[in-house]
Amino acid sequence: MRIHDLVIHESDAARIDAVLLRFLSDSSCLAALLIDRSGQPLAEAGTARTLDVGSIGALAAAAFSSTAALARLLGESEFSVLFHEGVKESLHVSTVDDNTILLAIFDERTTIGMVRLFARETCSSVGAILAETRARPRLVGVLAAPLTAEETRRASDHRPA
Amino acid sequence: MSIINYAARVINFKVVYYGPGLAGKTANLQYIHRCLPEDNKGKMISLATGDDRTLFFDFLPVSATGVRGFTTRFQLYTVPGQTHYNMTRKLVLRGVDGVVFVADSQWDRLRDAVESFRNLDDNLKEYGLALATTPHVIQYNKRDLGAVAPLDYLEYLLNRGARRVPAFEAVAVDGTGVFDTLNTVSRMVLVKEFGQTQEARA
Repeated sequence: MRIHDLVIHESDAARIDAVLLRFLSDSSCLAALLIDRSGQPLAEAGTARTLDVGSIGALAAAAFSSTAALARLLGESEFSVLFHEGVKESLHVSTVDDNTILLAIFDERTTIGMVRLFARETCSSVGAILAETRARPRLVGVLAAPLTAEETRRASDHRPA
Repeated sequence: MSIINYAARVINFKVVYYGPGLAGKTANLQYIHRCLPEDNKGKMISLATGDDRTLFFDFLPVSATGVRGFTTRFQLYTVPGQTHYNMTRKLVLRGVDGVVFVADSQWDRLRDAVESFRNLDDNLKEYGLALATTPHVIQYNKRDLGAVAPLDYLEYLLNRGARRVPAFEAVAVDGTGVFDTLNTVSRMVLVKEFGQTQEARA
């Protein structure tokens, strides 16, 4: 299995944001996060309160990956939906494509059935956009030219406080 | 697998600290987390067993100065080193851009290091990657202990590919070699992604 790099151009980001916002409106979810299965966040919507998107992405991708591995042990290709029910808020995770998952955070203002219904449509729409983005050139505009040694040094210079 | 987001002006890379159990992978991340300024780090997450052995992974997002108006984020992960957690190691390697191989320098841990190195190569292949073309560095850890193998011998065991990769002596618990290791693998990942001008290589 080959994992491909991903680039999200500004026009694609706007289209993805629009789809996620429509999903929030239709499903009454609190927040939606688009996460690469390697754990990296791609887009978010509705995160009114501050969420630690980086940590959520890493943990959700790990949970989804380990569940997929479990599914394979049981002879399934994967479990395409994950649902974690909390006291106040719950989490619904569904497959967008081979590399991407959609996280929906919701509370008692909606139901798992509504979330599932609209998540399916959203995954399909976002998947179509991502298929287009994967075909676009990666390094354009200011990133088209190779870095200078100084640029590389500064971008990789982690220093203790 | 790097992700470039032109809208958010963020570039994400994934760096995995790999190696046998108890080699010091988590100690590397803990030191980085302890020492980096608040602005350059996120929360560190450790999924560990009751006795502090890594069960799934440790995760720490860090960033340095950006490039051309983009923030460069490096998501640092460790894998569980224990042999029987191979399926988990494979999951953590998904989408990796750079690898730090952490080896325990002690004589009686060398066999584990060699086995883990082979295991890394095998697991990368599952994702269509080759160690030779994946940016990686080797860290010989625990150099402060008594019964450690000499550097030449460690290099002979672990750094014998067609092109030798950067290698560092380290004592991760006190930070020796930790940032040299991180900065070098970060640089290699950036150069692989963007290339570097000819004059700069001189």
